[in-house]
Amino acid sequence: MGSRQITEKALTMLRSLPRVSLGNIRDNPGYKKNPKRGRGQHGGDKHGAGNKGSGQRQNYMRLGYETGNNPFYLRMPHEHYYKGHHLRRQYPPFSLHELQLIIDKDRLDISKPIDIASIVKSGMYNFTPDEKHFGINLTDVGADCFAAKINIEVQWASEQVIAAIEKMGGVITTAYYDPHSLYLLRDPKKFFESGQSIPRRMIPPPDAIEYYTSAKSRGYLADPEEISKDRLRLAQKYGYELHVLEDDPNYEMLCERKDPRQIFYGLEPGWVINLKDQCILKPKDSELQRFFAS
Amino acid sequence: MAFMPLGIPLLRRVMQSGSKQAKYSILLQKSMTYKSAISLDTLYPNSSLKLATPAFTPNPDEKFTGHIPLNKVDIHYSASSGPGGQNVNKVHTKVDLRFKLDEADWIPTDIKQKMLEIHGKKLTKEGYLIIRSDTTRSQQLNLADCLRKLRVMIRNATFTESKPDPETEERIRQRHLKSARLRVSMKREEAYKRALKRPPTVVDL
Repeated sequence: MGSRQITEKALTMLRSLPRVSLGNIRDNPGYKKNPKRGRGQHGGDKHGAGNKGSGQRQNYMRLGYETGNNPFYLRMPHEHYYKGHHLRRQYPPFSLHELQLIIDKDRLDISKPIDIASIVKSGMYNFTPDEKHFGINLTDVGADCFAAKINIEVQWASEQVIAAIEKMGGVITTAYYDPHSLYLLRDPKKFFESGQSIPRRMIPPPDAIEYYTSAKSRGYLADPEEISKDRLRLAQKYGYELHVLEDDPNYEMLCERKDPRQIFYGLEPGWVINLKDQCILKPKDSELQRFFAS
Repeated sequence: MAFMPLGIPLLRRVMQSGSKQAKYSILLQKSMTYKSAISLDTLYPNSSLKLATPAFTPNPDEKFTGHIPLNKVDIHYSASSGPGGQNVNKVHTKVDLRFKLDEADWIPTDIKQKMLEIHGKKLTKEGYLIIRSDTTRSQQLNLADCLRKLRVMIRNATFTESKPDPETEERIRQRHLKSARLRVSMKREEAYKRALKRPPTVVDL
């Protein structure tokens, strides 16, 4: 409802309701509290401080003190090795062997681009953004036997993994998703049912920008021309003939990428997906459109 | 812009430092796909934004650049040696890379000659140079190791032994002479001291 409609509604209400007077208004609930009197039967005598002890004498022990024994907060010494552990990003591993397994069992559709949402949907992988999980770390276990041509988007991949995928003629991209976007990707249906508009994906933090902008790690913010050069370097290093992507009939599908601000394939930030009525609501306001395209 | 996040200037700076050459931009038709302010065509305006398969272009200055044509070398896989039970018996992680050295046209002739001199004794009866690797548990990494070894071999053959220049040779010769001189003078001193300790030789005048 626009602001004009709200004022109209308010004015209509004013016209129909009776005049406001002291007889038909009251305070908001919880606004008035009865004052506590320090005199008389209920507030007097010991004044809520009890009998003897530190409570009545207002001579309290410090917080955490355990009457002399080594208190809990001092029992565990500081270890420097875990400094900053609460700020570190974690990427729970998912091996190439497991990926091959779900492809072979038809739990994953390789005719379309694969991202973390499709892998979680297959049921073989789960992660908790609460616990600082920032996505999939594709590991090299099973790299020797990997035999599928896919377009996959993960959050972390080593050189060996990239080589294993490109050897088969596939494409791998490493992309960053902020925790809120990861929540949405974990269960897109639940998010669409909530009726919120799709937010924009945030850019990587400063210590991750270098990884996601380098062609060597196939970052989603890297120049595709540099990536093409690095494909040749990797093919020479690991000893395989480079698959000519341009001649592939699935070239369009293999090169399909999300925009850096996009969370879901084919869906733009700002859209509201209505699953019940099978329609998409898009913002028309120019300021909103400008915001979601920024 | 009110909606421009703070990290984007940092991102742009990183981009600009990477791209050095000015490339001709390909005029793209206005597509209906979503394009944000940090899409790839705003970050790399001069790039074609397409994944391609570049062919190897040899550097005219260098004789051997490290490129090995994989269709001209024979690669075979076999089981590795060592402990490991069923896994090491079944999984073919050992890589055997071989090629005929005198028929390798992808190696420049003078480097090939040098290689024949160094590795001539190691060639098989048919003339194959064999490189094997079973250092890791992964076939992929072992193949990379074999290729690395081959590249190292070829690189070592490109170096010619440098002859020391005449001044250095003269200096080395003088060093030898000086050491001989010192050695002889030390001997003479020792002999004199020993002679002093002996009883004097009587000279009948």
